[in-house]
Amino acid sequence: MIRFEAVEKWFGQHQVLAGVTGEVKRGEVVTLLGSSGSGKSTLIRTVTRLEGIQGGQVLFEGVDVAGRGVDINRLRQRVGFVFQAFNLFPHLSALGNITLGLERLRKMRKAAARERAMTELDRVGLADKADALPSRLSGGQRQRVAIARALAMDPDVMLFDEPTSALDPEMVNEVLRVMRTLAQNGMTMVVVTHEIGFAREVADTVWFLDKGQIVESGPPAEVLDDPRHDRLRSFLSRAR
Amino acid sequence: MLEILEDNWLLFLIGQYPHGPVGGLAMTLFLAVAGLSLSFPVAIALALARLSPRRWLRGPATAVVYVVRGLPLIMFIFWTYFALPLLTGHAVGGVETLLFALVIYEASYLSEIIRAGIEGLPKGQAEAAKALGLGYFPTTFKVILPQVLHNMMPSLVSQFVSTIKETSLGYVISANEVTFAASQVNNQLMTQPFEVYGLLALTYFTLCFTLTSAARWLERRLAAERGGLGAQPA
Ligand SMILES: Nc1ncnc2c1ncn2[C@@H]1O[C@H](COP(=O)(O)OP(=O)(O)OP(=O)(O)O)[C@@H](O)[C@H]1O
Ligand SMILES: [Mg+2]
Repeated sequence: MIRFEAVEKWFGQHQVLAGVTGEVKRGEVVTLLGSSGSGKSTLIRTVTRLEGIQGGQVLFEGVDVAGRGVDINRLRQRVGFVFQAFNLFPHLSALGNITLGLERLRKMRKAAARERAMTELDRVGLADKADALPSRLSGGQRQRVAIARALAMDPDVMLFDEPTSALDPEMVNEVLRVMRTLAQNGMTMVVVTHEIGFAREVADTVWFLDKGQIVESGPPAEVLDDPRHDRLRSFLSRAR
Repeated sequence: MLEILEDNWLLFLIGQYPHGPVGGLAMTLFLAVAGLSLSFPVAIALALARLSPRRWLRGPATAVVYVVRGLPLIMFIFWTYFALPLLTGHAVGGVETLLFALVIYEASYLSEIIRAGIEGLPKGQAEAAKALGLGYFPTTFKVILPQVLHNMMPSLVSQFVSTIKETSLGYVISANEVTFAASQVNNQLMTQPFEVYGLLALTYFTLCFTLTSAARWLERRLAAERGGLGAQPA
């Protein structure tokens, strides 16, 4: 579904992605591990061209996302993105955050969009908060609304960039629970996270990114319990 | 002073109306409200053009803003006063002239406030809209500008206060506003300029002070909103 082929990314003189190659298959859950600054966020942001690349290719369903004739806004509707900082629109209610895309992009009528948005809110357990502004929600609730907002567009794949890192510990689980359910229902997911427990339990594949390259990749049992690289070993011992 | 007020309060408030054109404080307020409202869409367009990656949009908009901000308002009023009749081919009244000059002038200042507001929003807002698949216009008009305008309410009130004071320049082209009314009264009485212009000062002060206080109150409320529950990590 997503293929990275020798992807290179530079910020000025600084190379952040140094030839990343890997594939995410339909229905697969990939968790992306790596120390701070290793390029995790940058990598998943290249999928919908939130970051451009300087070398290699990113393919979505076999099509180069940077190719001519790619309608990037259409592609972005098919790829849900969840940010560490939630990035809800603070002037819109939980419901409004979700209906915006439905009305503007799916051209749904108000009532239909509302109904659809309620379904999504219900799915993340927040139907009773539909009319609340983001400022009235807890961090965990905000992130769940952000997930619902992305899901409402019926994406083929969901990308998560450290979705629980900005949360107080007691709110982490309510978000992970939603993500776990999503994975069980067959959603294709790429999750950047420091939650090793989540990776172990939910992921089909774990990627370890180091210095802009995927240096280890495999099922969690292999990568997490029997790491071959020292860098991964020390990363795991710090993460526990 | 009270006597002057007793004899002339209607002139101060509404000019010669209904026996002549509306004037006085009513016209001052009309000019300020209309000037600011009409300049608003222009200001948004200027701000967006200034932030555009396209040179042919950014260049001219930047030039307009810089030129206007580098010149005193009175110059615009004179320019408009002499240029508008030439351009339109018929006589243009003082009020229309002043309004036109005000709109251009205020638009330049407002556009800078709007631009700063857009640049001051957390980057994640535009990014989240982008990630959803929203294009430039829905992102700008549904996500960015509503937040910017909300945040700039206090600045907007301050700008309104400046505009009220700036309308007094209409006097030089005989636009019928409150300063003009005061000078009419003064010309009639001839001997009491301090009282007449004291009244005028009091009028402006009361109005502007009230509005400035309102702006401060709004500012505090917004600060509380941001600092308290409203805060979202950038
Ligand atoms: N817009 C940018 N301009 C310049 N450098 C950047 C930019 N974004 C990221 N970088 C740099 O690229 C490198 C990788 O950043 P990235 O955010 O992808 O790392 P990460 O693995 O997600 O780290 P973290 O765990 O801290 O989120 C870092 O060194 C960072 O400083
Ligand atoms: Mg990151």
